Amino acid sequence: MSDWKRGIRENLDLRGLGPTRQSEIVEDLAQQLDDAYRDGLARGMSDDQATAFAWSQCPDWPGLSRELRQSRRGAIGVLGRLEGRAYDAEVGSSRWSAWATVAQDLMFAFRLMRKAPAFTAAAVLTLALGIGANSTIFSVMSATFLKPLPFPDPDRLALIWETPAKASTDTNISTAPRFWDWQRQNRTFEHMALFDSAGKGYNLGASGALREAEQVSGVRVTADFFSVLGVRPFLGREFRQEEETAGKDRVVVLSYSLWSRRYGSNRNLVGQPIRIDGERYTVVGVMPREFHFQFWSDERELWVPAGWNDGDRSRNSHSFVAIGRLKPGVTVAQATTEIAGIQGQLAKQYQEDRDVSALVTPMGEFGLENVQRVTLTLLAAVALVLLIGCVNVANLMLARGAERRKEFAIRRALGASSTRLARQLLAESLMLSALGGAAGLALAFWASRVLTRILPAGFATLPMRPLDAVSLDARVLGFTCLIACVTGVVSGLVPALTAARDDEGQPLKDGGREAAAGGRSIVRHALVASEVGLALVVLVAAGLLIKSMTRLIAVDPGFDPKNILTAEISVPQVNMYYGPPEHPRFCEEIEDRVASMPGVLSASAAAHLPLRGNAGRGFSIEGRPEPGPDEDGPGGAYTVTCPGYFRTLGVPIKKGREFTREDRLGSPGVVVINEALARRYWPSEDPIGRRIRIGRRDAADWLTIVGVVGNVRHWGLAQDTRPQLFRPYTQAAWPFMRVVVKTVAAPATFAKSVRHAMLVVEPDRPVSEIQTMEAIVRGSVGTRRFPMLMLAALAGLALILAAIGIIGVVSYSVTQATHEIGVRAALGAQPWDVLWLMTTRSMSWVLVGVAVGAALSSVATRLLKGMLYDVTPADPVVLAIVVGILSAVALAASYVPARRAARVDPLMALRSE
Amino acid sequence: MLLNTATKYTSIPYIKHVHTVFSRELKKGSTELLVLALLEPRPRHGYDLAKLLESRSGGRLALRVGSLYPILVRLEDKGLLTGRWVEKPGERRRRFYRLTAQGRAVLSEQRSVWLDFTGAVNQVLGGERV
Repeated sequence: MSDWKRGIRENLDLRGLGPTRQSEIVEDLAQQLDDAYRDGLARGMSDDQATAFAWSQCPDWPGLSRELRQSRRGAIGVLGRLEGRAYDAEVGSSRWSAWATVAQDLMFAFRLMRKAPAFTAAAVLTLALGIGANSTIFSVMSATFLKPLPFPDPDRLALIWETPAKASTDTNISTAPRFWDWQRQNRTFEHMALFDSAGKGYNLGASGALREAEQVSGVRVTADFFSVLGVRPFLGREFRQEEETAGKDRVVVLSYSLWSRRYGSNRNLVGQPIRIDGERYTVVGVMPREFHFQFWSDERELWVPAGWNDGDRSRNSHSFVAIGRLKPGVTVAQATTEIAGIQGQLAKQYQEDRDVSALVTPMGEFGLENVQRVTLTLLAAVALVLLIGCVNVANLMLARGAERRKEFAIRRALGASSTRLARQLLAESLMLSALGGAAGLALAFWASRVLTRILPAGFATLPMRPLDAVSLDARVLGFTCLIACVTGVVSGLVPALTAARDDEGQPLKDGGREAAAGGRSIVRHALVASEVGLALVVLVAAGLLIKSMTRLIAVDPGFDPKNILTAEISVPQVNMYYGPPEHPRFCEEIEDRVASMPGVLSASAAAHLPLRGNAGRGFSIEGRPEPGPDEDGPGGAYTVTCPGYFRTLGVPIKKGREFTREDRLGSPGVVVINEALARRYWPSEDPIGRRIRIGRRDAADWLTIVGVVGNVRHWGLAQDTRPQLFRPYTQAAWPFMRVVVKTVAAPATFAKSVRHAMLVVEPDRPVSEIQTMEAIVRGSVGTRRFPMLMLAALAGLALILAAIGIIGVVSYSVTQATHEIGVRAALGAQPWDVLWLMTTRSMSWVLVGVAVGAALSSVATRLLKGMLYDVTPADPVVLAIVVGILSAVALAASYVPARRAARVDPLMALRSE
Repeated sequence: MLLNTATKYTSIPYIKHVHTVFSRELKKGSTELLVLALLEPRPRHGYDLAKLLESRSGGRLALRVGSLYPILVRLEDKGLLTGRWVEKPGERRRRFYRLTAQGRAVLSEQRSVWLDFTGAVNQVLGGERV
């Protein structure tokens, strides 16, 4: 008798077979040798003889080894060899053992995933959708407001505003004379500058090879403008101080894109003349390629010196935005104190400065509120969707965990601690979320490209932050890794804890299933309830935004946008915002040339289109006392129109008339007001015939009110209408007019002919931005439509994920309860009794989820307040509809698998254990 | 490397190693068929099978464990057999092999093939009958 196994192991070479298989073979052979030994003894051999007889059963060890190695069962690949090494390492030195166990866990997890492709695919897909959506939204954040300003030392850049009183945040843009005083007296700014807040289109004349005129967006700036921003032209120079005065200001700095696009990147362009607005300008500089400037506008392509005109010199003419670069070490608060102090002194010196104070704000934070609000809301929504996905994955893992209970029990019996098992499960969920994260990144890559195209204009024209593309940069990658890790932990937590808490020894006995199943099933149903609750929150948010949008587009804009084509044209004049017009026949020629085209019903123009904002003017009313020095005088939104404008736009004329050709320069000054202005200042009298005077200068003429028109929503559909006054173009012009053309139908098809007709009216002044009025109306709600669409898509996704979760849990419950169903059926229950039972069990949990979700949503939707129009966050109708939809979907999701329960054969059910 | 105990090999009465009656190839191919046939009635373990083979063939077919075991492994790999560890009280556990459904199918097919073949061979070998 000898140690069979030891001898076999010494002689048999089974490399390439897994350790389990090797043990199996050794044991089998050992047993057979032992049988041979006993057989020998039984035949009368001695112990030695029987032993030798047994060993003689295997004379050819190499041959036997060779044959057995060819057995494909239990052959291990690379993964197994690594696992083997990790196993050895764990048993060996402790320095590597910690890593070794982690490596073992991960490899084991990878194996399991390969063995269960359906589970892995479902889990990875769910996580990929959730993580991908999060990464996409974060990439929008990263491309917009998480980016610092694209200028050197951006923390030192600031904006300086005028305010009505000290410490007020009601900001207004600045006036030039006040700015000059600040600039002269301050000690906190390194450089200060102004730029024209509106800017305008500049007509580049056709010249030489460039046969076509072109209109580009440009802005007037002071000499220190580029110094404030910290970027110098790469060709040529900036403006000089003396070039700011009118007459010496016929110089221009071009943007890189204009220089390369229109002037062929001609390095000799500096010092050459080009024609702008019919005048000769000398190019003095070209900005570098990386320099982009936009502020309340599209990107600017050229800069000209301020060239102060009379209007600019008034202390009441708010036309400029003031920017400054702080000295190193100076804070914004210190600057505010100083400038406000200077302004306080000025208030004592000048009548006009009496109610004016100043405020300095960091440039990096300006203009981001809307984008921040929308993006953060979307981020919250996708986080909820991801959470729902995690719950689904946790449920999937719990279901698999139930199948693997025997495996865990055995491992536990072999000495694995609960922590070790929990760690194993966490490793699995981390691996799933890593795969999901990788797939999610791919999704985000595609989605961010799509997003770049559909982002509303408000995102692309953030002040100082031009958006080229939404891309996946290092920040987004880091964010994705982070949420993949968090996701892995969150989805693995509940399965890990449940496995760790499992009762030892129970699952090894048959019939131990039910007790454990009961406890586990509560966990799964509770998870589903939480899913339902989260889905409800997202659905309610989407519902509120949708309702808000429907309310918004139902608002009467005050005019008829159908069949109207618009275009912008730059008609420069000396006194930019006060007139008189250089081309007084502008309006008449539009009527003659454009309105006379076939298919055109009427044509006119105005300085500001509806929904696009307005200028403003204060005025005084004849016969009423001038307001005291501390009071606000009457004022209103202000714009300039051609005759026939209201008729073209379909704005009703309530009283009196609109402008006609008779209202010319030299005729008595006239003004038209809207109903809001009439109601505010002449509530009980007829304003027709009354006279007002715009501005407080005594030199201004009295203007007679000749008409009252209906209210138009000039600041957006969501804004209330404000008092408004209109002046005829011929008497008080504007350098940048918008032409409106009412056509019979299909306004977009008239673009070319309108363009040609306008070139006849204003040669060398091409129109730009040709759009239909309906497109403008649609665009005005674009900033709301975008989050609404996104949230609706997310709500749909949340609903689908929740439904999948419910289906999974209910079908699993049905399988678990097969025995119970059999008992019930045997005791006389009808199929639909069973169906009812299963469905109500599931639906009671769903209703718990709905209740919790409704409570959550009442808190969460308060975040949406700023984005809603005419809808309260606690809107009961929306909540009721959402609860209805969710319950219906949950009912369907419960019903489908529950039908299986009704069809269970009672005998089969009773027999199954 | 042969086992050291092999040097203690002494002559063993009774057991004859018969290897001249049939050539190796013939033995190899048909042994698989025989193993399948022997497992048809009931499952058996390795050594038991070897002894049965020897006794049924009257001592003419004797396979050692080292020769029979690879055959069992091969048949199990092909899916014609399956092995199960069985523990009887008081004994070490043994691996019992039994036919699978596929094994049964192959066995009945090979049986008829074998009978056809041997019938043909016999006819040819038998020569012409007078």
